[in-house]
Amino acid sequence: MNEMTPPKTERTAALKGLGTARKRVEDARFTQGKGNYVDDIKLPGMLFGDFVRSPYAHARIKSIDAEKAKALPGVIAVLTAADLAPLKLHWMPTLAGDVQMVLADGKVLFQGQEVAFVVAENRYIAADAVELVEVDYEELPVLVDPFKAEAPDAPVLREDLAGKSEGAHGPRRHHNHIFTWEQGDRDATEKVLASADVVAEEMVYYHRTHPCPLETCGCVASMDKVNGKLTVWGTFQAPHAVRTVASLISGIAEHNIRIISPDIGGGFGNKVGVYPGYICSIVASIVTGVPVKWVEDRMENLMATAFARDYWMKGRISATKDGRITGLWCHVTADHGAFDACADPTKFPAGFFNICTGSYDIPVAYLAVDGVYTNKAPGGVAYRCSFRVTEAAYFIERMIEVLAIKLGMDAAELRAKNFIRKDQFPYHSALGWEYDSGDYHTAWDKALKAVDYEGLRKEQAQRLEDFKAGKTRRLIGIGLTHFTEIVGAGPVKNCDILGLGMFDSCEIRIHPTGSAIARLGTISQGQGHATTFAQILASEIGIPADDITVEEGDTDTAPYGLGTYGSRSTPVAGAATAMAGRKIRAKAQMIAAYLLEVHDDDVEWDVDRFAVKGAPERFKTMKEIAFAAYNQAIPGIEPGLEAVSYYDPPNMTYPFGAYICVMEIDVDTGEHEVRQFYALDDCGTRINPMIIEGQVHGGATEGYAIAMGQEMAYDDMGNVKNATLMDFFLPTAWETPHYTTDFTVTPSPHHPIGAKGVGESPNVGSVPAFSNAVHDAFRSFGLTQTHMPHDHWRIWRTAHELGLHG
Amino acid sequence: MELKDEIRIEAPKHEVYAALNDPEVLKAAIPGCQELNKVSDTELEAKVALKVGPVKATFGGKVTLDTAGAPDRFLLTGEGSGGVAGFAKGGAEVELEEDGNATILRYAARADVGGKLAMLGGRLIASTAQKLAGQFFENFSAKVSAGRRIS
Repeated sequence: MNEMTPPKTERTAALKGLGTARKRVEDARFTQGKGNYVDDIKLPGMLFGDFVRSPYAHARIKSIDAEKAKALPGVIAVLTAADLAPLKLHWMPTLAGDVQMVLADGKVLFQGQEVAFVVAENRYIAADAVELVEVDYEELPVLVDPFKAEAPDAPVLREDLAGKSEGAHGPRRHHNHIFTWEQGDRDATEKVLASADVVAEEMVYYHRTHPCPLETCGCVASMDKVNGKLTVWGTFQAPHAVRTVASLISGIAEHNIRIISPDIGGGFGNKVGVYPGYICSIVASIVTGVPVKWVEDRMENLMATAFARDYWMKGRISATKDGRITGLWCHVTADHGAFDACADPTKFPAGFFNICTGSYDIPVAYLAVDGVYTNKAPGGVAYRCSFRVTEAAYFIERMIEVLAIKLGMDAAELRAKNFIRKDQFPYHSALGWEYDSGDYHTAWDKALKAVDYEGLRKEQAQRLEDFKAGKTRRLIGIGLTHFTEIVGAGPVKNCDILGLGMFDSCEIRIHPTGSAIARLGTISQGQGHATTFAQILASEIGIPADDITVEEGDTDTAPYGLGTYGSRSTPVAGAATAMAGRKIRAKAQMIAAYLLEVHDDDVEWDVDRFAVKGAPERFKTMKEIAFAAYNQAIPGIEPGLEAVSYYDPPNMTYPFGAYICVMEIDVDTGEHEVRQFYALDDCGTRINPMIIEGQVHGGATEGYAIAMGQEMAYDDMGNVKNATLMDFFLPTAWETPHYTTDFTVTPSPHHPIGAKGVGESPNVGSVPAFSNAVHDAFRSFGLTQTHMPHDHWRIWRTAHELGLHG
Repeated sequence: MELKDEIRIEAPKHEVYAALNDPEVLKAAIPGCQELNKVSDTELEAKVALKVGPVKATFGGKVTLDTAGAPDRFLLTGEGSGGVAGFAKGGAEVELEEDGNATILRYAARADVGGKLAMLGGRLIASTAQKLAGQFFENFSAKVSAGRRIS
């Protein structure tokens, strides 16, 4: 190395690669209000669409009279199912193998369902015209309770499925039944439970809620009749999948469809599915020959666009007297609403719920999930979690607590006693997963020590004594959680959506002056891909992250991929990025060897350059190599420096974490105060610690919302009770707790850089931590289970029912 | 949703009852009432403009009276539709009791509300309904007792 060469550490730091708390490059535009969202798109002559929606949850449509609406100046068209039927677009396939009405065909099945689509010259005229469309409804009996939906004499919701005893996921046993999904060994599990020392049984409900991204869903469809090309800008979490599905549905050749996801203001699973608004906008643009914009409002988003959760989870868990878990049994009644529109991989109608054995070594287990139809909005998306993983984590973390109560054991000790040990990985779970890696005991011990767990329990016991002595009206709850996630869907051998394999991709072009552009099949909705993917690449190819542009979301330019949800971007597209980078480096090595006049094997990689082995002063930097790649004739090597990688992961990744919540509860008002929240995450190799921390803060805040107040509730008539932000709880800075973040690092053995994904861990882990804290506060008064959300009224009611109000 | 209240009206019972059957009095008393027509002795049709929170709509509705117990007691049932704003249906029981020269009017009403109206959340609807009912009887009472003073 000559004097002019900066030391390795300096050159590494200059790259801002893996492990650097690099500031988010996206924020320069977001913090200035210069983002470019769907609603910012304005095209000449653009029309606006708006829906007439059903006020009834279940009704027959006797007639639709749109004459007054059509007569309103500025109204271009009013579409109904009758108009879409000749195109066979009045129904559409869902991602779960079901079909869904685009516009009400004969009846409506949930409040807020799309009945007619008004197209007008501006948004205001469209809204006025919506009010002029007269729909004559005949009310039908409403089903909002999934258990009543399966009664023999329950009203038939889906008349289109009459006589169909076979659904997309096997036999249907009732007219409102969708599927039964079974995993594990039923006989063996029941045998173990029947002869166990201790069995704890509980119904755990994970209520219906909603991802509620700040930007609602919408699109601008533009059919160019001259060149036959359809362009759709939309809030799509999976633009390439949308293109393929749009082509299959519409018959337009795929090369004539261009899907663009611009900046997206949060997705959280809400923007994975296909909604009637997209279809209607596209049809309207094809019919009118001008662009059509549709953007839903907040009420429409909450009441009609994909909900999340709504799982009734009945569990039985068995153990020996000294607390060794011997078996787990679970039955889920899954309320899917009016259409099965879950966005799960095809072979997993209940997502990856079979991760519900959690972090524990449970020898036998059995799981059955029954999906049913009700008069509620369709959806069932993964709200900031991998497919149904939050439900699974909540279930097992509640069951552990219930078992601890039954055993009279400390819940932290019970967990530690049953964790899968480090030496058991790769671990095959009783419900069929191969956990790639983990070190749960290390994380757990670190977490307990960090919060001084023993000290907290002593303080809690003292507080309890003071409470009983009448000195205080506040109780302390300590909420423990150790979660294991399963993310990074996924291996094409078992993961596809509508037949589209769930690989992902990255394409890199190095420019002659040594900067680069990388395009991926994923799409950021706030995750910071432009920042972190550049960091992965910087470390792989020695070009500073600041000199790498990351681009996603335009199907005409980006390589094919299945998009961003289920924490799959880093595990899948991140791996593709590293692999494409390695292809670049392999070619760079040959170029460097030629330039240095040595054999390929005689040069070695050194941060940002190739140097001759044993002679570090003889080197070629990536900048020099890039220039040579384009501008120097090198025998046997074609010009240019580009690479593409399509990555099919060999396995999922299994991030895990230990979360502890300390909560004070006022018995008389039902109010709570999160005194401390400690979140330890192990997401394998850490790409950008600052982004990880931000993700944990955001995910834990969403978890806080869900556990402590957020819900989509329905009354008996099927009215949505929380369709505005007045009633739907979104925490602001005022309510949001303070978080302490921590980590351990257990790299994924099969991922090229050992990363596992982190965006969704905090939602998965925090919900049970908050809920367990509430339960724990009342444990000594005999509470075993009360359902979320734990809003002030419900906490007050719990205290009241336990006789704490004297 | 359930509403319940009682008010004292400074007029004798038969006058109060008559006023309750007089479309002109009712039209003047119902907040936002644009039209009110008697279809028969027991049927009324009305058009009422209402604003509940951000939802503003004109409701067209029909009210049926059951006067079997009149003038002491009578029943009303009705339903109305406000298009995209939603719909409402319900009933009320009204009791009139003599109190010297005045009348005590008691009512108990129950209503089911659907559509956008309902989505706004029960608390807003209940308080608005309570307010509207209060306004109605205030107007009604003023109209009936004023009429009496003039005559």
